[in-house]
Amino acid sequence: MKQAGLDLGSVNTKLVVLENGERVYSHVIPSWFDSVQAGITLLKSYVEEYGEEPEKLVVTGYGRVNFPEGRVITEITCQARGCHAHFPEYAYILDLGGQDAKVIKKSAEGKVVQFIMNDKCAAGTGRFLDVILKGLDLTSVELALATAAKPMPINSMCTVFAESEVITMLAKGIPKPEVIAGLFKSTAKRLANFVESVGHPECLIFTGGGAYYCLLVQFLERELKGNVVIPSEPELTAALGAALLA
Amino acid sequence: MDNRELWTALGMDLEKHDDFLAPVPAIFTSLFLDRPNRPKAMGYFDMIVGDVHGIRVHELYAMKEAGAKVFSTFCVYVPEEIVVATGSASIGLCAGAQYTVSSGEKVLPRNLCPLIKSTMGFKLDRICPYFQVSDWVIGETTCDGKKKAWEILNEHIPTYVMDLPQKKDSKDARLWEEEVRDFASFIERETKVSITAENLAQGIQKINNKRHALQRLANLRKHNPAPIHGLDVLLINQLSFFDDPVRFAAQVNALCDELDERVKEGVGVAPSDAPRILVTGTPQPLPAWKLHALIEQAGAVVVGEETCTGERYYKDITEPGDNLTDMLANIAKRPLKVNCACFTPNQGRMEDINLMAETLKADAVIDFNLQFCQPYGVESYFVAKEMEKKKIPFLRLESDFSEEDQGQLLTRIEALIEMIRA
Repeated sequence: MKQAGLDLGSVNTKLVVLENGERVYSHVIPSWFDSVQAGITLLKSYVEEYGEEPEKLVVTGYGRVNFPEGRVITEITCQARGCHAHFPEYAYILDLGGQDAKVIKKSAEGKVVQFIMNDKCAAGTGRFLDVILKGLDLTSVELALATAAKPMPINSMCTVFAESEVITMLAKGIPKPEVIAGLFKSTAKRLANFVESVGHPECLIFTGGGAYYCLLVQFLERELKGNVVIPSEPELTAALGAALLA
Repeated sequence: MDNRELWTALGMDLEKHDDFLAPVPAIFTSLFLDRPNRPKAMGYFDMIVGDVHGIRVHELYAMKEAGAKVFSTFCVYVPEEIVVATGSASIGLCAGAQYTVSSGEKVLPRNLCPLIKSTMGFKLDRICPYFQVSDWVIGETTCDGKKKAWEILNEHIPTYVMDLPQKKDSKDARLWEEEVRDFASFIERETKVSITAENLAQGIQKINNKRHALQRLANLRKHNPAPIHGLDVLLINQLSFFDDPVRFAAQVNALCDELDERVKEGVGVAPSDAPRILVTGTPQPLPAWKLHALIEQAGAVVVGEETCTGERYYKDITEPGDNLTDMLANIAKRPLKVNCACFTPNQGRMEDINLMAETLKADAVIDFNLQFCQPYGVESYFVAKEMEKKKIPFLRLESDFSEEDQGQLLTRIEALIEMIRA
């Protein structure tokens, strides 16, 4: 039997299909402000490739309520289930998505015990990093240099203010790698506080597109004084969880 | 006099008022009237909302013509018994609309509680007939935002401020009793009616009857299946500040009679496995219905409000007294049993929440905080800790009166429900 999980995110839309518990298909496409349409496209390309519709479908993420088919489950429950498949032994999850950040505590059975989400503001979300990094127009060399650079403190909590703070620093001639290191450090600090308002994990599961920023992971480990583990494809865990719950 | 003549006489901005009220009928219809299985006795409260700026305002206007005064309040601590004793009116004011927030921000900081900004906006915009018909606003010192905002509001309407202490020791009780006695003298001066043992006993009786009726309604919500939607009870709690206390109590009791029958027959508004939610925290003043509407839209049912538009308003009654001195002392005693986050420490509130969660068989607690409300925002830490200790699923939500964050709130509420059902 084929079970599909479709995660309709604000930035990317993801599909995972399982057959007898084994992953047979996964794909990620940009949502382009219409995650429902992206979801339909993804399902269609799966059907074209495999010649049949999945027997069961769970939809999750930002666009879930408007999707024409499938059972609806929130991304919080799906994220916990998906992470549990990767790391059953760890309780705390930090998910840094495009539009929100969340911390989830799961039980030994993979069920949600507690969760918090950021307030209605981009500060501390994937969008925050995206906006500022895009504005910096980085080369891969500059990004690599940032790993060893001395981080410049960035104090603003607000995306708009942080952006102008960054512009001011660059105008003063502060090297880009130092600014980038500062940006990741301040984000890591904010995320660490967010995690610690729920609990103090020895090992934290980090998911969402944000987990691809190696520098952020480094700073996060330093701030939390603990280990951070990342599933193989961190943007797919909610879709995986949805498929497992289907 | 029809409504428009009345509003003109009250100096209202009719054009803005029309604009403000225009969407209300559609919202009220979809949130309230269209829902199946509502108790018939909700008809009275629906009628009041249907003409929310009419019927009651006409009454208040007529009272004033006959020589009475209208005193407006924003807080459960203000002793309305004293006002009612003199034959004048004590009413609550609209404070829960996004529409007036931006006007409030003309004179108040943006990062201030939306309740205060909404209130100020209603006065500056002249679109609340209750504000316009009022002779006085009775403020209190329950938070710094309100305390300072009264000074600005006083430029637009005479504002009397009661100084509520921040602790509950014996010297605080003495200060508050003095405040209550000063307030009684002020009301006597303003209304030109002497407060006597006889009329104050009646005032106490009237307000106690109202509180008893609300307690009876609250108590019926412990049954499963829930005999009434939380949103309907919230509306009643909101209207309890506006309506004539005697008529209101009679209507609430009539509703309770109907709910008694429902309970006997095992009839409810939600399936018996619907998650039962206790809402705690800051008030939802009229017309803030968003939170309850979302919770119930997600398939849960709100069974109680540990808020000022709920339990805090009616959980305690005023003990009767033999003479005027004792009565005023008893009136002062009641509010000090109410556990508002403006007091320190405030352990009593944790006991209230635990008791409510237990009595109402709540499956989860949603602690709601109006953005920028410091006392409740900070105290949320202790509520969370207490719920963790009691192993009650807990969700903290922060919002204002705007509509834009409904999707985000709903995701959190749905996840909580999935958590309960897992």
